[in-house]
Amino acid sequence: MKLSRNTIILAALVAIGLSSCDKVSPIGVLVSGTAVEDRVKMSNLYYQKYLEEDKAALVEDEYTFLIGADSHVTTDPGRMDEMFALGLEADDLLYAHLGDIADTKPQYYITLDSLISEARGRYIEKHYDVKENGNYYPIGSDPNDPDNEITPDDLIFPFFPVVGNHDITHNGWAMWSNIFHSSFYEFNVLVKINGKYEVDHFIFLDTASGTLGKTQVDLIEEGVLDGDEDEEGYHYRHTFVFGHTNIFRPSSMQFASTFAREEQFFLLNQFKKWNASIVFCGHVHAWDEREFEGVTYLTLDSMSEDNNPNPGDYLVRVHVKKDGTLSWEKVHMNYTRKKK
Amino acid sequence: MLRNKSCFLLALLIMMMPTIAVATSYNGDHSFDGTHRNEVSGYVVGGSNVITGTFVGFEASYVRHLSSHWRVGGDAQMQFCKQLYSIDATAGYCLPVKYGHLYLDGKVMYNRYNRWNFNETIINLSATWESAYVDFRLGESLIHYQSVGDGYTEPLTLTFGIGANIRHRTNPWNIGLFFRNYDDFYYENWNINWGIRWYAPLPHDMRLFGEFNIRPAGSMSQLATKYEGSVKLGIKYKW
Repeated sequence: MKLSRNTIILAALVAIGLSSCDKVSPIGVLVSGTAVEDRVKMSNLYYQKYLEEDKAALVEDEYTFLIGADSHVTTDPGRMDEMFALGLEADDLLYAHLGDIADTKPQYYITLDSLISEARGRYIEKHYDVKENGNYYPIGSDPNDPDNEITPDDLIFPFFPVVGNHDITHNGWAMWSNIFHSSFYEFNVLVKINGKYEVDHFIFLDTASGTLGKTQVDLIEEGVLDGDEDEEGYHYRHTFVFGHTNIFRPSSMQFASTFAREEQFFLLNQFKKWNASIVFCGHVHAWDEREFEGVTYLTLDSMSEDNNPNPGDYLVRVHVKKDGTLSWEKVHMNYTRKKK
Repeated sequence: MLRNKSCFLLALLIMMMPTIAVATSYNGDHSFDGTHRNEVSGYVVGGSNVITGTFVGFEASYVRHLSSHWRVGGDAQMQFCKQLYSIDATAGYCLPVKYGHLYLDGKVMYNRYNRWNFNETIINLSATWESAYVDFRLGESLIHYQSVGDGYTEPLTLTFGIGANIRHRTNPWNIGLFFRNYDDFYYENWNINWGIRWYAPLPHDMRLFGEFNIRPAGSMSQLATKYEGSVKLGIKYKW
């Protein structure tokens, strides 16, 4: 038998050609862009330097937060805009996004960046007033109390994303990290009820590559994301974990988790160790809800108007009540693509 | 995403076609050779994994050819560091055809992932078409894993793999490439292993064999990142 060299080269070129498109890196099977190791090192440095000292939000009542996944923003950011509007209308404490926020072209990220700036402006307008000196204070608080005064640079728009696989193709990490900076971080929400504090913990993981990578595994095992539960002498009431790649498979028609077996078991054990209340995932563009060892796993459908053109329940809102009980609901999105 | 993966597999099939057309009849690598009814083999495996770091392990296999068509066997492995212990039982039917052999195989496997306290049970049914230079496998796996408190059964999972050698399979030595979503003791979903396999003759009906196996994380558009790399080195004996 003779297998012609030209035949092999031709077949390889056909294979590469067929697997090439905007969403798939043609040599993605073999090599990576900015690898998870470098992303996590960058994210952790940023988190340690800029986020760790300012990582607690304080609320004095029950609160809600809104989660979306796989928006794949291209030229029409209507669904992302709708997510921000829904959160603003419902006074959600924060937004979380589960990755694949935009397809990786510079113009899409320019659109996304503008959209987030506008949403930030609307959020600030709703929640803060401006003092004569240009600083802000929360509406309803004493403007003369220096503790309430916030400089414009210190205003936080509570939008917390994780990176997805489509965010890192074609060196998309450069664009993603330019806006969002970190894909590996955690923070607390302090809830002051009747003079006492309850604490909820939010953890964000970089699972875009289908693996945590050695650096992230080491940091998790070192306890970098465990929070300061013991140091501060309190126990977390709830822990919420956010990542891109799905843990469970919605059905045989959808893609399974791409975590290899050992990593799947490592993660399931880690979520249990963190005593997670809910783990949120995306990636697979299909809804799935299940319980495993006391942890709720919610896999969100894609909120992208390309993937789901019709209105539907693509977001999830979690209610954390005063007494500590949790509930969640699907949130309907109405936006449909503008006709060209 | 699915369309692109399908296209990629289709392209690989196209690549195989010229090979299939010129393949000659031969005695299949896993079929009864007419003389030796028993095969025993063992290998040492070592590598590095994102979760567990460096690991080493041992494997042992036995195959009994009951007839020219039927065979049964069993495999076991111990991987230290991972604390992975596995055992399986296999049965297969071999159907020689003009340009190769068609194997229909069933496997029942149990894995104990002791480090994370998980037990995994897998049932796999596969059809393998093996010619002188290439082999192609398609099948389905039913995977169930169980921790202390809970269990999960994956929906049916596709098994697929192709391999190609540079020499005719009856040659005493050979070297080739493989591309598949399974290994001896696991069946993945869309995670693909690929690497180099080889064998060489030893005296007294023995054969030296080995594999260099790259196990990336994720697949296709997930920009595969290294998950595990391993090397196997073993000896097979027939009598």
